[in-house]
Amino acid sequence: MAIDTANIELWGDNIPWLCGLREKGRAAFKQYGWPNAKTEAWKYSYFNKKEFEALHIDNTPHHCDCNGHCHCHEKTATPFAAYGIKFCNGKLATEDFDLPAGVSVKPLVEALFGGEAKKYLNKSFDMAKFPFAALNTALIENGLMLVIERGTKLDLPIFIYYHQHAQAANLYNIRNLIIAEKGAKATVVEYYEGSAEQPYLQNVVNEVFIADSARLNHYIWNKEAKVARHIALNSVQIRQNGYYEAFVAQSECALCRHETYIELLQKGAAAEVNGVYRLSENGKSDITTNVCHLDEHTNSHQLVKGVADGSAKAVFQGKIHIAPNAQQCEGYQQHKALLLSDEAEIDAKPELEIFADDVQCAHGNTCGDLDAEQLFYMQARGINMAEARQILIKAHTDDALGKISNKNVQNWLLEKF
Amino acid sequence: MEKKLLEIKDLYAGVAESGKEIIKGLNLTINAGEVHALMGPNGAGKSTLAYLLAGKADYAATSGNVTFAGQNLLSLKPDERANAGLFLSMQYPVAIPGVSTNNFLKHAVNAKRKYMNLPELDAAEFLKLLRASAQELGVTTEMLKRELNVGFSGGEKKRMEMLQMQLLQPKLAILDETDSGLDIDALRIVAEGVNKLHTSENSLLIITHHLDLLNLIKPDAVHIYYDGHIVQSGGKELAEKLEQSGYKSFVEA
Repeated sequence: MAIDTANIELWGDNIPWLCGLREKGRAAFKQYGWPNAKTEAWKYSYFNKKEFEALHIDNTPHHCDCNGHCHCHEKTATPFAAYGIKFCNGKLATEDFDLPAGVSVKPLVEALFGGEAKKYLNKSFDMAKFPFAALNTALIENGLMLVIERGTKLDLPIFIYYHQHAQAANLYNIRNLIIAEKGAKATVVEYYEGSAEQPYLQNVVNEVFIADSARLNHYIWNKEAKVARHIALNSVQIRQNGYYEAFVAQSECALCRHETYIELLQKGAAAEVNGVYRLSENGKSDITTNVCHLDEHTNSHQLVKGVADGSAKAVFQGKIHIAPNAQQCEGYQQHKALLLSDEAEIDAKPELEIFADDVQCAHGNTCGDLDAEQLFYMQARGINMAEARQILIKAHTDDALGKISNKNVQNWLLEKF
Repeated sequence: MEKKLLEIKDLYAGVAESGKEIIKGLNLTINAGEVHALMGPNGAGKSTLAYLLAGKADYAATSGNVTFAGQNLLSLKPDERANAGLFLSMQYPVAIPGVSTNNFLKHAVNAKRKYMNLPELDAAEFLKLLRASAQELGVTTEMLKRELNVGFSGGEKKRMEMLQMQLLQPKLAILDETDSGLDIDALRIVAEGVNKLHTSENSLLIITHHLDLLNLIKPDAVHIYYDGHIVQSGGKELAEKLEQSGYKSFVEA
């Protein structure tokens, strides 16, 4: 069945404001048009509309047809001590959240029903600029509302595990609201793992709100099925002295586009947006960032390191915008990639858009092969070429993983990524 | 009977890409257990010889033979040469950012063990082996944690080369100006490293400009190398003569 977002019945279609919001999303998606080679923001990462239209939306309640054999029936196992939450084929599978005081987690539908989601939904970005976030809004239903209450300092990370295993070309539409209230401190990990052999599309929007002096560490590992696509927008607003540390690790799949849009709204707001990608076959990774410095004394740092081998394609689009009044800001961005084959491709598009005159900004982009002297030195110590290359590639990606401040998460990725 | 370890016969070689000839008719035999010194002016092709023997792709032989421990050395890949027992201590050891010295050494030791069909060492076993050798050479735990050769001083780099030599126990170690630019303490460490490796089985080829190191390690043979071949061979007295009258006296003779 061809996808038709207008005729899909979703929960809460009888709630007027929600129905209206979905309608606005549909209109914005239509207005933008299907991204193609002429769409600046998508020219390196667009894909065939027919493949999109062949997707199926499963709007039935969560139901797993594995007769209790798949691990969505088990209590969420986390790779390190953490509070586990699980999504199974795009739907929340966790019933008992088991979280400490000061943290509230609700399925999004509950927060829509109660109305508390209304205050945050679509408040951090403009749908006219983000077509898949507009689509996400048109289909809004699955996801979480996560609130770290005022002053709460969470002892363990919240680990959200998304497992895509249904043998169907589904469109999974996830919308999360993550709110760190004043002075709160928390770490949220999202792990997307796909084992299906169907070209599903994971379409994620996280809206993140960081209040005064709050800190959120947000780590994401996109490890979708090889044939799948993953498109995500992380839209973040940071208030006075708030801190956002983001890291995305991108494994290989047909298309993995991770876009981060950040507004540093008030003095002292700061963000780190780091990441790593590793492609060796014919997949595609796109890391797109847009960091907007909207007040004075706001800082941002970005380091993305990647590897493209085989006939893979990697994209890095990084933008730093500094508003006219945003004096005394620091904005740094670096992208370093290893291009290991003649067929692989890397497209890098750094942009600085600076309207203030007293700021420090820099960007750097490098792209090259492994160092022949280093490889020879290792061979001269008995290490064969294949192993020497792996050691150097790992050193390259590990350097980016070194930016992750939570040691448990860092060690997990150092070992598994 | 003397056991030939390295035998170079009528070797001609040069830069692979341009074909520029640098080694011109070199003959050299090193028996097991011998220490040879190779001395020559800048530009004579000493480092080219060292790199060629270690298998660096930038250099290629055009004619002649090199036999090492009974094998045709030039047909082996660099890692195979290393595992067969050839070790090159480079004049400028390469820094490898992002790879800890510890981790690098473990890979190297286990590569050799794998080649010898021995089980690989786990982290604890390796650390035990490493600690003993490191302590003798004055390599600190802090240095082992650092990225390989990154920000190392000249002396530290050479010490690290000696540690690698010690761990890998090569049949033949080629030291390419390992003594250059070292202070007296570092020089002593190199000499100790050499003397420790030197047994009736293990040999060394020391490429050097200075008598200082040769005074500490007592070579069995000294060769004067000029324009890609050996012009004269003898004992340590050659090195002493060189120190007094320079290369001129050998070239004109």
